[in-house]
Amino acid sequence: MTVPDTLVELSDVAVSAGSTTILRDVDFTVSSGEAVGVFGANGAGKTTLLRLIATLVRPSSGSGSILGAALNTSDVIDVRPAIGYVGHLPGLLPELTLIENLQLHAKLQRRDPEHARSALASVGLGGAADRLAERCSHGMQRRTEFAKVLMAGPKLLLLDEPHSALDQDAVDLVDALVERTVGAGGAAVLVSHDRPSVNAVATRTVEIADGQLR
Amino acid sequence: MTGFWAQVAVIARTELVRERRAGQVLWITIPFGAIAILLVPIAIGTDAPMLRRIGPGLFWMVVMLFGVLVAVRRSSLDTLPVRDQLALAGVDPAAAYVGRAAAAFVLLLAFEVVVGLAAVLVYDLGSGLLIAPATLLLAAAGLALLGTLAASIVSAGRDGSALVPLLVAPLSVPLLIGATQAHEAFELGRSSLGWVLMMVVTTVVLAIAGVLSAGPLQETG
Amino acid sequence: MTTRTSRSPRWPWVLLAISAAVAVTAAMVVGPDAVQGQLSRILYVHVPSAWLAFTAFGVTMLMSAMYLWKRDLAWDRRAHASAEIGVVFTGLAIGLGMIWAKPTWGVWWTWDARLTLTAIMFFVYLGYLALRRTTDDLEARAKRAAILGVLAVVQVPLVHFSVVWWRTLHQPPTLIKPEGIDMDASMFVTLMVSLAAFTTAYVAMMYKRVELARLEDELLVAERSTDGPVAGAAVSTPSIDGGA
Repeated sequence: MTVPDTLVELSDVAVSAGSTTILRDVDFTVSSGEAVGVFGANGAGKTTLLRLIATLVRPSSGSGSILGAALNTSDVIDVRPAIGYVGHLPGLLPELTLIENLQLHAKLQRRDPEHARSALASVGLGGAADRLAERCSHGMQRRTEFAKVLMAGPKLLLLDEPHSALDQDAVDLVDALVERTVGAGGAAVLVSHDRPSVNAVATRTVEIADGQLR
Repeated sequence: MTGFWAQVAVIARTELVRERRAGQVLWITIPFGAIAILLVPIAIGTDAPMLRRIGPGLFWMVVMLFGVLVAVRRSSLDTLPVRDQLALAGVDPAAAYVGRAAAAFVLLLAFEVVVGLAAVLVYDLGSGLLIAPATLLLAAAGLALLGTLAASIVSAGRDGSALVPLLVAPLSVPLLIGATQAHEAFELGRSSLGWVLMMVVTTVVLAIAGVLSAGPLQETG
Repeated sequence: MTTRTSRSPRWPWVLLAISAAVAVTAAMVVGPDAVQGQLSRILYVHVPSAWLAFTAFGVTMLMSAMYLWKRDLAWDRRAHASAEIGVVFTGLAIGLGMIWAKPTWGVWWTWDARLTLTAIMFFVYLGYLALRRTTDDLEARAKRAAILGVLAVVQVPLVHFSVVWWRTLHQPPTLIKPEGIDMDASMFVTLMVSLAAFTTAYVAMMYKRVELARLEDELLVAERSTDGPVAGAAVSTPSIDGGA
């Protein structure tokens, strides 16, 4: 797919769940080649902002587009394969092995599952490929999530607490992944409460507090 | 549509692999259904002719009430991080529904066979119960579709697992009546075609309802 | 979402007061049935309750479909209100039917097709109301409830059909059905007056319950409006001394 110059565009967006407002008055733009760090305290709305950009949360008001697809339309389904989202909780099926988890993801996206093993090897988990996800540490599961992203080669990288539970080797790998995506004309959004580690890769930073961007 | 059915196959296969490793249906739900068959005579008496008379009905009631547990079994596909990943992988919500119902169908069929065997042996029923494949298949399909749909309707709320059986039980009446009457007609040497057709219609209606509501249900997460 | 605070109209209640007065008077004044005696008077409440129960569930189905089409919460509130009223009147119809059945048939319950269907409907809509209690998210609740409401539309006729067919094969000895009584003109008129009074009660209750539901929704929306607290406000700077 062709990547538009503006990958993320949110205009006056609000998100609420039940009786609680999580985000409000959000105006946010991310252009090609940017790696934006979003900082905020616990409960500030960081994760919801990231899931909003990942098209996983629908805005309750306002408008926006992700990779050229307008939010709240079915067009977002077409751009989802170009989004690489790593939440701060791993989304692996615990009863499947690491390699089976990657193969499942590849098969659902109708991509060749053959690259799964090499992707696992590149995140340093070649030796744990056949271990059940539930028997792997949090850090190993997160590495597997990054292997998923490596296989897919997304245009828009969305990372929630990108360095949490990772050792220095894995942190370097994540940073390299961000730089590669941004260098190829894509973009990245990294939300975190950990300023120093994200500042190293971010080209620009914004603050989020009480559901609003500053 | 190859994409759709490929996704259905991947989801169904994944669910069955998960079940094979977790063993929830095999080691919990099926034994629970079998013990229910044993408990009935303890409660109502062991009179052999009576058990032979009410046995088939008891079997189908156990399938409808306890089989629901197959559809509500805890699935890691329901956790938020996994749902996020499936949505981003481009999984069609209808394909996910059909895939999960297909897996539930296979598990329910296993449930029916084991519990049915227990009923045949304990109530001395003769093999009529188990050589009516149309009834067994349709009951499993209908209950799988209904249970999976009910489970996805309540999935985001509180008290989900307790609510699903309440939603499923009254709506499963056509399946229960169809299965029991088809069996009775079969035993009496009458045609059971009408009852079987009724189950077919019910199953088709449930499949359409489930597929149509899968998309809207996905939206709110 | 409209924020108008208009109240439900008063005319249905005036109409209800008049029709209820007429209906109660008629039910008391009309002569007892030749066979059943005073017991027949219960029918002036039982039959309209049953009629109302099915009407209310029919309205719920219709309103659910309207919600899925228009996605306007007003339709959801009507569906909810009607289901709640329907459950109340289904319970009333079943209870009164039992009170009528015991002296008439000698049993509290019989496997009449219509009776069985009514009991099943009662549980379908208890489940519907239970489902509505599982989330506070208005849109999610409306959508889930509407999907169940529409599933009931397609499934209940199958339930009805299967139950009727099942009972046709296993018909118990012919009994007097509440509706099967040979009515004289005065009893028929009384029943019609009673039906009208109950229908008026439904309309009045609908108006009131929909208004209440709208106020409940507005309260939820007000709590989450942009002027109110946001999620993050619940988290403040921690302090070992117990915070500021």
